[in-house]
Amino acid sequence: MTSNELEQLLAQQPIAVLHKLARGRVHRHFRAGKRRLIELLLQHSSQNLAGLESDLHALMSERPTQPQIAPTPARQTVPRHTAPPPNRRPHRAHEPESTEPGVSLAAWLEGLGVPSPQPFVPDPWQEEALAGLAETDVVVSVPTGSGKTYVAVEAARRAMDENRTVIYTSPLKALSNTKFTEFSKIFGSDRVGILTGDRQDNSQAPILIMTTEILRNLLYDAASGEIDVRLDTLGLVILDESQYLADPERGVVWEETIIFCPSQAKLLLLSASIGNPQDIADWLTSIRPSPCRLVRHSKRTVPLRAGFLHPNGKLTPLFRTAGIPYGHPGQLHPEAKRLFLQYEEDTLPSGRPRR
Amino acid sequence: MPPSIHPVDLIAALREKSLTPAIVFLTSRRACDEAMEAFDHAHTVLPPVRQGAIAAALERVIAQYPSIAEHPLIPTVQRIGVAAHHAGHLPSWKIAIEELMRQGCLDAVFATTTLAAGVDFPARTVVITQSSIRKARDFMDLTIGEVQQIAGRAGRRGKDYVGFAVVTPSPYIDLDVLTKGFTGNPEAIDSQFTISYPMVLNLLKAHPHEQIQAILAKSFAQFQLNQRANVLEGKLDVLHTQMEPFGPRVCTDWITQWHTFDQARRQKPHRHQIARHESPEVTARFHFMTPGRVVGLNKGRGIVLRQYRSKGQKSPMVTVLRAGGAVTESPAGIVTDVFDRLFECTEQQGYPWCAPESFDELLYQLTELPTRLPLLPILVSKESDLIPDAIVQSLGDFPCPTCSSRPACQKDYLMASRLRQEQQRHIKSIQALRTSLWHRFQERIEVLQTFGYLSPTSHLTDDGEWARLIRIDHSLLITELIRAEAFAGADPAVLTGVMASIAHDDDRPGAFPRVSTGLSSLLGQVRKLAESLSPYEDPPLLRADIAAVAERWVSDPSLTWIGLCRSTTMAEGDIYRLLARTLEFLSQLHTLRSTHPGLADSASQAIALIRRGVLEELP
Ligand SMILES: Nc1ncnc2c1ncn2[C@@H]1O[C@H](COP(=O)(O)OP(=O)(O)OP(=O)(O)O)[C@@H](O)[C@H]1O
Ligand SMILES: [Mg+2]
Repeated sequence: MTSNELEQLLAQQPIAVLHKLARGRVHRHFRAGKRRLIELLLQHSSQNLAGLESDLHALMSERPTQPQIAPTPARQTVPRHTAPPPNRRPHRAHEPESTEPGVSLAAWLEGLGVPSPQPFVPDPWQEEALAGLAETDVVVSVPTGSGKTYVAVEAARRAMDENRTVIYTSPLKALSNTKFTEFSKIFGSDRVGILTGDRQDNSQAPILIMTTEILRNLLYDAASGEIDVRLDTLGLVILDESQYLADPERGVVWEETIIFCPSQAKLLLLSASIGNPQDIADWLTSIRPSPCRLVRHSKRTVPLRAGFLHPNGKLTPLFRTAGIPYGHPGQLHPEAKRLFLQYEEDTLPSGRPRR
Repeated sequence: MPPSIHPVDLIAALREKSLTPAIVFLTSRRACDEAMEAFDHAHTVLPPVRQGAIAAALERVIAQYPSIAEHPLIPTVQRIGVAAHHAGHLPSWKIAIEELMRQGCLDAVFATTTLAAGVDFPARTVVITQSSIRKARDFMDLTIGEVQQIAGRAGRRGKDYVGFAVVTPSPYIDLDVLTKGFTGNPEAIDSQFTISYPMVLNLLKAHPHEQIQAILAKSFAQFQLNQRANVLEGKLDVLHTQMEPFGPRVCTDWITQWHTFDQARRQKPHRHQIARHESPEVTARFHFMTPGRVVGLNKGRGIVLRQYRSKGQKSPMVTVLRAGGAVTESPAGIVTDVFDRLFECTEQQGYPWCAPESFDELLYQLTELPTRLPLLPILVSKESDLIPDAIVQSLGDFPCPTCSSRPACQKDYLMASRLRQEQQRHIKSIQALRTSLWHRFQERIEVLQTFGYLSPTSHLTDDGEWARLIRIDHSLLITELIRAEAFAGADPAVLTGVMASIAHDDDRPGAFPRVSTGLSSLLGQVRKLAESLSPYEDPPLLRADIAAVAERWVSDPSLTWIGLCRSTTMAEGDIYRLLARTLEFLSQLHTLRSTHPGLADSASQAIALIRRGVLEELP
């Protein structure tokens, strides 16, 4: 393969493949755009184009769809401990190539507009979470923007009505600040306090806002008998954005907090959609005084539509259907597919057309 | 053809279809700022009514955060109705932009994907221009959860019937990642539990040593380890039934009996050749290097295709598939890590030692592996598996050759011993899964004992009593510095500088003010100590230039925020974050007031000096 052909082949690859190729070859490759990356790759491997080419073929051969390998029990195999890989490859090959034309742009845009003001009616899942909290710990896993704050606020209100104190934690100071403002508006500024490492504003208030790290430290202090804040009246601990449990650096803090959370306080874990909320609930059940209630759903309250906009200004639906075809990543709209191919072609190195 | 759409055209296209307000996610802060400038140059000017609305909304935010009153971007935002929102900005400015967006004053905001989860910042449309984000100094594909978090901002409850996520390509995009992200199920959460020094000290402060194992058992980490152990228990049950036909015969443990006899028969001639110096670690790990196992090598990772013993030396060998498709034969000793991940692998006699479909699948899996993989906990047993010489000597004494069960034993041995090996492997794995956290805890205890924070009986020493209050990253370095009296006589500014350089973990280059000689020499000392501690704790970056920025702010109380920003190329949002994090570190030093009053006092002076201007506005 000539270096020209190789260049063209590189140009046909999605950028992710190029980045994979560049690992260990090009310093700071992630800073480069597609064209520059191709140039750098060719430059770096000018003495060993064959090596680059074979690596590229290796990467290419794994990319296109190969049929899923069914576990073959043909030979007599002793069952083996197989950890399921976290992401199975999408079944692109099995995607039935639909011949339907795909939704029209007009139909895709339909329904756009502003609903008339509606009286606030809690969603069933919100009610369910609150009802659950009356008895036990609750884990909520629902999509972004569903209304988890309402559950936090109502739960806090009910706890305070029973003369219990409430701790609300978020992973970020910025978020704590926003909630501090928001809760102060709802409950009155004398009833809301905020704790940071070096500051305590209104630390005797019935609702305290802090980052999860600060709460973890409080719990350690309480365990060794030096209590700054009264934990005996604590009725509710709200951990917002609990999906941080999976954060490589900070996830451990959520585990520590949950392990040491006083048993008389209810735990409310609010989380964006995650893959294994049942595991989290089962875990809580196994270490807390009463069985944890899981409230989950994955349906967005405001339906989502996905579109594709070509740099020339042409807008088209991304999928064949107006809504998101959950579970079927391959159902691209023919127009989006065409425009994307055109885009990849147009952004070849130095603008040279393919073929 | 430009590689991506011009921001002004982008917003025009969205506006034409009534798809504004929109949040446009761009790859870098610079791209966000440039997009805003592009608008400014295009002379798109809002009608006076809308300008007035922005001014009125800003007025209210300024009442709460006066520092933004003079913000240089205010006139621009008011004129063009779009804004940038990224980590380079001050928190108060970001709050202002969020408020403008909530009130519907803006057409678009250009943001980076660092826009935090949970910030109430929705729009009718989000525009996605990338499929990867910078993480741990490399670009990584967005996860399904991340794509959904980004797309989740589209469609405001009560203000929109539907929300739109529009993909517009840039040279960074891989469409597959995004379509997978839109349509897929978010990833499962894996515990990231780690045992830190402060955790050990705090646990031992509150609980006796013998209760700790039960506390660790309450972690989500142990919950997930147990789940895996339970899977293995299930397999053990199956093996147990499979083993039924191979129960006691003439000898109760005929499998071992036959094994010893058989080995002795075979090994006798070349017994002397067997490498006896195989380390117990390699021996223990070798059991787990079965086909399909992901292993760490000196360079990169690979998947085991085959394990065998070399012909001459009988040393443990593995055939490993590496990234790019290379298949290498190496001694098992080259494996540095055995990961807790095993893929299905159909074995095959002869190169490449697995079926072609398996090969392709494994090669694919190899590139798709996440950066972090859990290690397989493996217990290293001390005793060697070799048959003692005495047994070999007495080969003639075996009853097997004349035993009535001999044909049955000979026939069943292979199957039975394989099943039993499998059983033993599972039992070992289960044991390791159940105890690995405890072992990690013990390792930490040993280090803390060596340094004298714990007594030999695992009680907190006097140093341990105060050291447990330092519950931040690099705690060992900080407590060792305190014990070495490195901060004795350090004024608040120098102390701030050192804490800033320990707290800061970004390697972004820039231009910075000069560092004082006092701080510079102290940093030299800190660096030396950090290096000597590196076997026990990863050293921080310890940038002198970063230290200088923080030192400057504290040493000169008349310095204004604008003055500080002018002295460096660091973005003001980054300076703010640096100082906020330094505050956290200093406030931990402040908790040592009963044992280290001088240091605590210096820390609280530093805190008071840092907290001025914009750093006074937010708690
Ligand atoms: N039952 C309801 N009916 C109508 N609107 C609601 C309802 N519940 C919440 N909302 C509105 O939905 C919007 C999003 O709510 P909220 O910020 O609580 O979402 P969230 O789930 O916390 O999102 P995130 O994942 O971003 O943290 C808010 O404007 C809120 O007023
Ligand atoms: Mg929220």
